[in-house]
Amino acid sequence: MNSFAERLRRRETTLLDGGLGSLLIARGLVAGAAPESWVVSRPDDVRRAHRDYVAAGSDAVHAATFGANAIRLARGGLADRCEEVNAGAVRLARDSGALFVLADVGPTGEYLPPVGTGDRKAWRKAFLEQGKVLAAAGPDAFHIETMTDLTEALDALEAVKESAPSLPVLVSLTFERKKRGFFTIMGNPLAPSLRALAEGGADAVGANCTLTSADMRRLAEEARTAVDVPLVIQPNAGAPVRRDGAVFYAQEPEAFAEEMALVASLGVEMVGGCCGTDPRHIRALKRLLPPKGKPT
Amino acid sequence: MYTEMREAVVLGDAARARRLAEGVVSGGGDLLAAIEKGFAAGIRKVGDLWEEGEYFLPELVQGAEAMKAAMAVLQPALRERHAETSKGRVVIGTVQGDLHDIGKTLVATLLSAGGFEVEDLGSDVSVDRFLERAKENGADIIATSALLTTTMPVQKAIAEAIPKMGLSRPPRLLVGGAPTTSSWAKEIGAAWAENALRAVAVAEGLVGAGRRP
Repeated sequence: MNSFAERLRRRETTLLDGGLGSLLIARGLVAGAAPESWVVSRPDDVRRAHRDYVAAGSDAVHAATFGANAIRLARGGLADRCEEVNAGAVRLARDSGALFVLADVGPTGEYLPPVGTGDRKAWRKAFLEQGKVLAAAGPDAFHIETMTDLTEALDALEAVKESAPSLPVLVSLTFERKKRGFFTIMGNPLAPSLRALAEGGADAVGANCTLTSADMRRLAEEARTAVDVPLVIQPNAGAPVRRDGAVFYAQEPEAFAEEMALVASLGVEMVGGCCGTDPRHIRALKRLLPPKGKPT
Repeated sequence: MYTEMREAVVLGDAARARRLAEGVVSGGGDLLAAIEKGFAAGIRKVGDLWEEGEYFLPELVQGAEAMKAAMAVLQPALRERHAETSKGRVVIGTVQGDLHDIGKTLVATLLSAGGFEVEDLGSDVSVDRFLERAKENGADIIATSALLTTTMPVQKAIAEAIPKMGLSRPPRLLVGGAPTTSSWAKEIGAAWAENALRAVAVAEGLVGAGRRP
């Protein structure tokens, strides 16, 4: 059992990082470009972003591999650089000195029929390839995240577990808040989806992106009663607003931190942020979390 | 009959929608009424169910597919009967860096059903490609969708590039997508539609001011 798995077993509170893409955009990544391209072209900026999170108190950082599956890389003109990008990104995250490095696995960006023309065989191949390359780079765990289709999340989970049988795998879906509760855009409801992931072998399950910390607090309450496995919750820094032609997530670090400390107190083991959260949000949250992790 | 058409779309039954459309055409029925009171009413209902959280993407897309199946039958027939009275030309696409296709495709379908000639450029469309197609097409409207806060600024880039096309009658810009707002549209000097159904009315308003001869 590696030390991250051990930490999951002890149910210690683990502070994750915040958004990476939005942080790189603030450093000049052009809108529409793939953040993964900076792993190759501007590694120092990626490394510095990770370091800023570690300095702010993140126990674990996500390697910049969110879009580094073959299907998505092809769209950014990086089709033949899967190994270079994934291995390089894990190395940059490791260089930050973080206690733990999470290999980040995001969606292919395709949808299954009737919504799109996605092909599960191709997905599986892409996730297996990325999983193997990432596993060889030596992360402490995997985090499959921002999945809007439970089917794709389960496919990724199966492929990652096959690629790296000994590493813990976290899986986060992206939910919207509807009148009838929390659903993915494909209509997967919260509690049954989290249970399906846990049954599929996920070592921790949860939600990231789209929702604000206030909505995530409600989601976390439902999630905590739905499953017994550790939970991971990463909201955005509020709803997006626009200023001077650019887009911002404007929630103040303190407001974010107060709500996320409440999320942690519900028994959510891993807390962090998604779009628009930056090291200030993580630092503010760090101050509000119990100093030595939550007792079991 | 209109109820059946509406239902075929609400239930996402493309084969039934096609059959019903063929029935209207062969029976010499009112084609526009079939669209407006039947199939388009169905797609509006699908939109309502989506907002209610009863329908999700798969149902939404199946509804749009059923609508498309009906339109594939009705549009050629309409052209034949009315020698095509186009409301205007639209090039539509999702902006560069953004792969979200569904909302845009729905808008394209509804615009087409609403009497516009629509060229759908797909997703991940560059600024240059929008301009090039609009110029070649003599488009009245460039309609752009952005579903990510990181890709919204591309709409601004398009807005800024349109006046530089050197056209005496440059196309109007219509923007949409979840993160967009009326104030965003106002700031970049574009028209805005909050959802696919509104997009048709807004597009009609845009071409109404100066209809193509």
